[in-house]
Amino acid sequence: MSDDPVGQVPASADEEPRNGLEALTDEVLPALIARLRASRLGELEVRSGDWRIRLRRDVNAHHSRAVGGTTGAGGQTGTGAAELLGSVARSPAVGYFTPSPDLALGASVQAGDPLGSIDVLGIAQDVTAPDNGIVSRVLAEDGQAVEYGQALADIDPLEADLETDAADAAVAG
Amino acid sequence: MVSRVLIANRGEIAIRILRACRGMGLEAVVAHSEADAGSRAVRMADESICIGPAESARSYLSAASVISAALVSGCDAIHPGYGFLSEDDGFAEMTRAHDLTFIGPSAEVLERFASKAGTRELLAAQGLPVVPGSHGMLRDDAHALEEAERVGYPLLIKPSAGGGGKGMRLARTPRELQQALTVCRSEARAAFGDDSLYLEKWLEQTRHVEVQVLIDNYGNGVHIGERDCSVQRRHQKIIEEAPSPAIGDATRVQLAESAVKAAVAAGYQNVGTLEFLVDREGQHYFIEINARIQVEHPVSEMLSGIDIVAEQIRLASGEELGYGQDAVRLRGHAIEFRINAEDVRADFQPQAGMVEHYVPPGGAGIRMETHLYSGYDVPPYYDSLLGKLIVWGPDREAAVARSRVALQELVVEGIETNIPFHRAILEDESFLSGGFDTNLLDRKGAAAFLRAVTTEDQA
Repeated sequence: MSDDPVGQVPASADEEPRNGLEALTDEVLPALIARLRASRLGELEVRSGDWRIRLRRDVNAHHSRAVGGTTGAGGQTGTGAAELLGSVARSPAVGYFTPSPDLALGASVQAGDPLGSIDVLGIAQDVTAPDNGIVSRVLAEDGQAVEYGQALADIDPLEADLETDAADAAVAG
Repeated sequence: MVSRVLIANRGEIAIRILRACRGMGLEAVVAHSEADAGSRAVRMADESICIGPAESARSYLSAASVISAALVSGCDAIHPGYGFLSEDDGFAEMTRAHDLTFIGPSAEVLERFASKAGTRELLAAQGLPVVPGSHGMLRDDAHALEEAERVGYPLLIKPSAGGGGKGMRLARTPRELQQALTVCRSEARAAFGDDSLYLEKWLEQTRHVEVQVLIDNYGNGVHIGERDCSVQRRHQKIIEEAPSPAIGDATRVQLAESAVKAAVAAGYQNVGTLEFLVDREGQHYFIEINARIQVEHPVSEMLSGIDIVAEQIRLASGEELGYGQDAVRLRGHAIEFRINAEDVRADFQPQAGMVEHYVPPGGAGIRMETHLYSGYDVPPYYDSLLGKLIVWGPDREAAVARSRVALQELVVEGIETNIPFHRAILEDESFLSGGFDTNLLDRKGAAAFLRAVTTEDQA
């Protein structure tokens, strides 16, 4: 179970909505860019009605978070950047993963919030957010076979990180 | 034939099954707990899948997790190994309900042989002698004395509702019996809410001898001879060997042939072991069937050249046995030493921790079945078996001589093991003469062996 596609977030440019967006870009976009810069997020998506904006930063330029950071079969041994920066929502069982509708990049979650479920012989076991924060990566797709302890989503602690990130940015800038 | 097997076990047996699968050209996926993520079985496997946390109840003993793992990893069969879910008829039934092959007897067979008392009745009906005892439950003291006369002293008084030796009492005379009955009744009532008692003949100085059988789903069966498992410590087997040094060739053949015949007639299928007690006169009494691959199966493999795990997979797939008893040739003598992580000086307390250095023995007739490697961290959650050293020689004397050499070569450093204990047993007169019984170590006291161990260490 080691070769699951990790960190694959469906995001092709041709899906980007355009209609009705221009009116909001002046105020929304700058705010979002600031938000992305101040956080450690690699990607940010905002939805409203039938449009959405997704921003992605060049991850190599700033954080060296290991993309595909789950290691080996277990995935539970993933150390390094991801562990230090935030927390990881893991599979509570071996089975098939179904994400909850709310599990999306940039979504704000509270500890204990359901992020999806694992189907174990027809019985659903909840996947929950380990901490408060922002979903920074979704690591498994709908219907994917996952093992116990497999990383399913990275959660970044946004509030706590804002200050240090701002400081980093100031130094870097 | 199955094509992709989920191995739902750990340690040395997971590797044993993995090798059998590879030898047969089958794919294998090793299911493991979080604590075993770095195990040798996982490292050796092409694929592995984590099924739960260290705690067995939520991993190796979780039927739903094991079956779910088999389904999501695309397996069509599950090998349960020994222990854990291996003899659980409910699990076998669940496995079948998900269109997976359970590598072992079918759920019906497991259920039929699940109760010890029921199994004894089934096999006694097929002509196997069982330990003599009272007919049914004791009505009153007079009935008890009458039955006791018929069975003969010494006797064990056993509560019907008990198990695992709980609530048993020994009576050597009618007087002791009468005294014990009153106590036993009140104890059984208090402990089990049921004061029914029965009598069983107490067999002293018995040996534990078991017969390995292979039986297909069509009534064809062979035995692979017997194994003698009389070297025990507190009812735990430590050394197993074949042939048994305690029985003559006539008894040997009669025991094995009657065992496989009765097992076939009683409807047993797949790989199994029939356990017997053998007394000093060579009388044998059937005790129970182990409906799984056993820890000590390599002893019979060394004599016969048959890969018992491969045969188990083949038979569970519904294939015919395909050969008769005359195709099974047993040669020489084999001894197995269970290498446990335990401190022999601290009452054999199980040990956990880092194996700093591991060097296996080698040479003619030497086989090591283990999951050890230098740098392996023995987790504290599971049983203490680190591996098995199996030694073959043309006869018992040669096998013992090779065993001494192999046990000197074998190095396991960083953690306490019972290797020195094995070396000491190999110098014991009772063991060397073959005239020991299952109480040898407990009666002599581990102390006698410990002295030998200490002397050896100082030398």
